[in-house]
Amino acid sequence: MAETAVATHVSGTEEHVRKRPYVIVFVILAAVTAIELAITTPGYFLVLEHAFRVGLLIVLSTMKASLVVAYYMHLRYEPRWIALIPLGGLALVAVLVAALLSTTAHA
Amino acid sequence: MAGTEDVKAAGLIHCAGPRQMAHPEPAALEEEEHHGSPWPFIIAIGMGVGYFGIVSASVPWLLVGLAIFAGGAGGWIHHDIRRPSSAFYGAVAAIDSKFPRVSARKLGMWLFLATEIMFFSAIIGASWTLRLRTTVPGAAFGGPWAEPGHILNVPLTGLNTFILIISSLTMVEALAAIERGDQRKVRIFLLATLLLGITFLSIQAFEYQKLYFADGLTFKSAPPGSGVNPLYGATFYAQTGVHGSHVTAGVLAMAYVTRKAFKVGFTKENHEAVELVGLYWHFVDVVWIFLFTIVYLI
Repeated sequence: MAETAVATHVSGTEEHVRKRPYVIVFVILAAVTAIELAITTPGYFLVLEHAFRVGLLIVLSTMKASLVVAYYMHLRYEPRWIALIPLGGLALVAVLVAALLSTTAHA
Repeated sequence: MAGTEDVKAAGLIHCAGPRQMAHPEPAALEEEEHHGSPWPFIIAIGMGVGYFGIVSASVPWLLVGLAIFAGGAGGWIHHDIRRPSSAFYGAVAAIDSKFPRVSARKLGMWLFLATEIMFFSAIIGASWTLRLRTTVPGAAFGGPWAEPGHILNVPLTGLNTFILIISSLTMVEALAAIERGDQRKVRIFLLATLLLGITFLSIQAFEYQKLYFADGLTFKSAPPGSGVNPLYGATFYAQTGVHGSHVTAGVLAMAYVTRKAFKVGFTKENHEAVELVGLYWHFVDVVWIFLFTIVYLI
């Protein structure tokens, strides 16, 4: 069972079962985590240049987080404006990052 | 158990009058007089007093605040666990608008999670700033950061990451089960999530104990002879510690909904607590996805 039946709507004689890809999302999350571990384990990671590895890790973790938010926190199935709330938090994070990057280091 | 829905559907077919059609809510709603509860206010007062104790560095005030907080939380749990929760049924009706309504509690949880995003960003941002500024030549508190796997046990924490991902799956399956009205499965999946959360914390406690006492990674110093920056330990414990405390809070909340699922049970129509605790649990998982990459792999 790759998809999970969420709710059964009874309307007259017809029965609709909503299916959501929870198990598929889990398999992707586990596979990506395995890839992350593989490219950082000594013996493997030397193959990738440091900056490229860091960039790849950030992309992969952002992808995993997006999957969890979209499907497990079912943001994808909520009214669209709800997404503005976490995006508001992320906008302030962008301000923080910009502030941290714009000040110079004191040696 | 598709019980309620079937009974209701059958009721509508056999004796459907206009009144039943207009009021499809469960009977529990009619028995409830109001949704008010004094306990959240008492909890807030306790937190306020405790916060005053922290900012004025006064232990007695902190203890008084904690006592009021514990009393309020205990009263709330005592009040809530013996009966089905009181969701606002009609208020969340689907409205054809750009801004369809959601329940106040779900909105509250999302707003809370937005503040949590900022909280964790501050901790991670501070740690990254320290890392970038102290690993340059000539910096105060100088010294390199540890290479991945040099001090931290990456395979063990990798296992913990898998445990947390599995717990997210069991959590979402618990919600799916109660949305179908399946009482048995919601209990099994909630219990599984609770046990996986406890496992995560146990492994983290084992990791901390080994790092701190056996390896000598403390808040102020790196393992002797490693040549690693002395700030490394402080940032490590700050980032993983606040996350661990969030998992602890999640485990307590999970214990509560699990107990409630076994005691009075949730229903197909009324299970918002499962959904909200789930939102928090998945958020903590999302934070860990980033922390694992930032702290352990980079």
